Amino acid sequence: MTLVLRRNDYTLSDEQVQLVDMLRSLFTEQSAIDVVRAAEPLGFDQNLWSTVQDNGLLTISIPESVGGDGGGLVELVLAGIEIGRTAAPVPLIDHVVTMRLLAVLKAAGATLDALDWDAALAGDLIVSLAPISTWELGAQLVPSGAVAKAVVAFKDGEIILMTRETYAAQAQNEGCAPVAWWSSTDADVRITTLLAGAEAKGIWELAHREWRIATASSLVGLIAISSEIARGYALDRKAFGVTIAKFQAISHQLADIHMDVVTARNMTMKAAWLTENEPEFRPELAAMAMAHATRAALRSTAKAVHVHGGMGITNEADISLFYRKVSSWSLVGGGIRRDLDDISTAIDHRAQELAIAALTSSNR
Amino acid sequence: MDFSQVELTSDQLVFEKEIRELISQNWTPNLAHIAVDHDRMPQSVRMEMSKRGWIHPELAVEAGGAGLGEIELEMITNLFDEYYIPANVSSSLLIPTLEKFGSQWLKDNVLPGIRSGELTTCLGYSEPDNGSDMAAATTRAVQDGDTWVINGQKMWTTWGNESDYVFLLTRTGAVEEKHRTLTMFLVPMNTPGVEATPVWILGGGRTNVTFYTDVIISDNFRIGPVNDGWSVMSEPLATEHGAGVVTEGVAPVNGSMGAGFSRVFQKLVDGAIQWAASRTMPDGRSRLEDPLVRAALAEAMLDLEMCWNAEGELGKPMSAEALAKQADKLADMAAPEGLLDFGVDGSIAAGIIASERQHAPGTAVYGGTTEIYRNNLARRLGLPRPY
Repeated sequence: MTLVLRRNDYTLSDEQVQLVDMLRSLFTEQSAIDVVRAAEPLGFDQNLWSTVQDNGLLTISIPESVGGDGGGLVELVLAGIEIGRTAAPVPLIDHVVTMRLLAVLKAAGATLDALDWDAALAGDLIVSLAPISTWELGAQLVPSGAVAKAVVAFKDGEIILMTRETYAAQAQNEGCAPVAWWSSTDADVRITTLLAGAEAKGIWELAHREWRIATASSLVGLIAISSEIARGYALDRKAFGVTIAKFQAISHQLADIHMDVVTARNMTMKAAWLTENEPEFRPELAAMAMAHATRAALRSTAKAVHVHGGMGITNEADISLFYRKVSSWSLVGGGIRRDLDDISTAIDHRAQELAIAALTSSNR
Repeated sequence: MDFSQVELTSDQLVFEKEIRELISQNWTPNLAHIAVDHDRMPQSVRMEMSKRGWIHPELAVEAGGAGLGEIELEMITNLFDEYYIPANVSSSLLIPTLEKFGSQWLKDNVLPGIRSGELTTCLGYSEPDNGSDMAAATTRAVQDGDTWVINGQKMWTTWGNESDYVFLLTRTGAVEEKHRTLTMFLVPMNTPGVEATPVWILGGGRTNVTFYTDVIISDNFRIGPVNDGWSVMSEPLATEHGAGVVTEGVAPVNGSMGAGFSRVFQKLVDGAIQWAASRTMPDGRSRLEDPLVRAALAEAMLDLEMCWNAEGELGKPMSAEALAKQADKLADMAAPEGLLDFGVDGSIAAGIIASERQHAPGTAVYGGTTEIYRNNLARRLGLPRPY
């Protein structure tokens, strides 16, 4: 038996650092909290979307062969974090993940006549995908489904495209995300099969993993900004004559939130890099990134609200807005239960490895 | 970013073979031994390691090490883990301190043996009435010409019964002066008046209470200026709590303690998988197919991956707490056999779940409690000193 060592290098390249700087200033300026509030209840801001389009953010992670700039999942994840930090009301993640899937389908020979490719590439036509269709048929909630006119789904072993002439009605939700019910049997929905056969399942699963990782990145951003807001409040607010940040009951909660920020970010970055570069290696990492980001976002934004005391539960507090966004953004993909189900495939893999290890050690 | 597999060079493959041979000639793996991150290898293994400069392999050959790089260090760590060799014999936390603050006599006579690993050390910080607040130490050192007389008592002197020297924190002025009247010594454990008595801990491990009664040592054993022990002590503490040195991006990011706990955690998960694989449900299928078992194992694996991603100073508290939580949950998952000790009929994978439930609480305490780590983290977040 030979040792297997892997690198653990999370550092960003200079270009990636520059990209983060650009995205940080763009979203901080253009997606201020009043913009986010004004975009509710739909959770979509056309002006911000136009800015995103004009700044070329939609094509960064699209292959050059289909008109993009050739960046990858890592770049999308960096954008996702910034979107999360500002709760930006734009469907960038769902749209870009779907476009990346469509690019793969195009390369695999799928006919995309039912879709105006150029309009989709430019973002004038918003596309999304149905993560729940991985497990279930029938009517289901689709992320960005209320602002998309085309949704890609997995059905009976095939990848299908669902299109509508009009927008589906938003399903009201606490985070005001543009979620909508879509059904392949809906009279308003036209169905086109994009790819059938054995290849379809693998392509869909990879796209689904990308969606989980990119969505996890937006949750990372939500936790990170919640951490900063709670820290600022704790330093500012006084009780018993001192700043409340002096109390361990407060500072240790802020430390816990910070731990969630760091681990959720690192797991997401690692999953993105490996999914991009070695998709066969530990496929469970995508579900792990999503599951941890979800639980971390749910508990850490709750702690961040709590640190604010009564102010935290008021609608006017910034922190309560981020708290509301978390559930809508994290659970629309099916929740931690389904993530754990996919993580459990790693149990079988490990059981096989252990059987091999047991044989080896008996030969020692 | 880079998470790719390291292609080992032919020299590195030879190195691996050499270590495996050395281990198989000197060591029989004991699968019941869990606290591999905490205990110390037997002297016979240590001496073989020392000859090759592998106790502090990162040091140059002339300095008693083997001049090895980060990849080789990781290879040693992983192989020791694979063979269940307790590896905690390093004095790497102390060496830089001795180099910086040690007397010339210590540098000439003791440091070389510590570097090579022929001599071993332990830490004398905590006392019966103070632990985390180390600046409250009361063990007294009184100067008498060229010698010092030490009286007092230390707690949690792990390996105090088998070390050559103790890195001792003493009081050399008024206690009220807190960290301004502390002085550090490297005291030979065989000095008359030094006595280590065992304290047995959960999981079967040993630590010690050490008594210092009219212990007389030469001033040569002093480390750093009188009453400046706080600066001397802070250096290894920072290293112990820190992330370790990352040079080629191969070492785990979760620091030395966090990585150690994570390796134990992996063994716990493996033991739980072995339990499930060895049990059948009433319908004849393997417990590995039980959805509740799968959910429990998947959550444990998720927590383990989280630990490997807990960077630097976060590694210790997150890994310790996740380990303790999952030891409980997996013991429950594998109930009732989860409670059985090693060697008992029906026990699981060398009793690992039961013994890890015993061992895990200590990981959240030794080397600094998780609360102290949170205080440190809060300080790094720019929060004020705790009230």
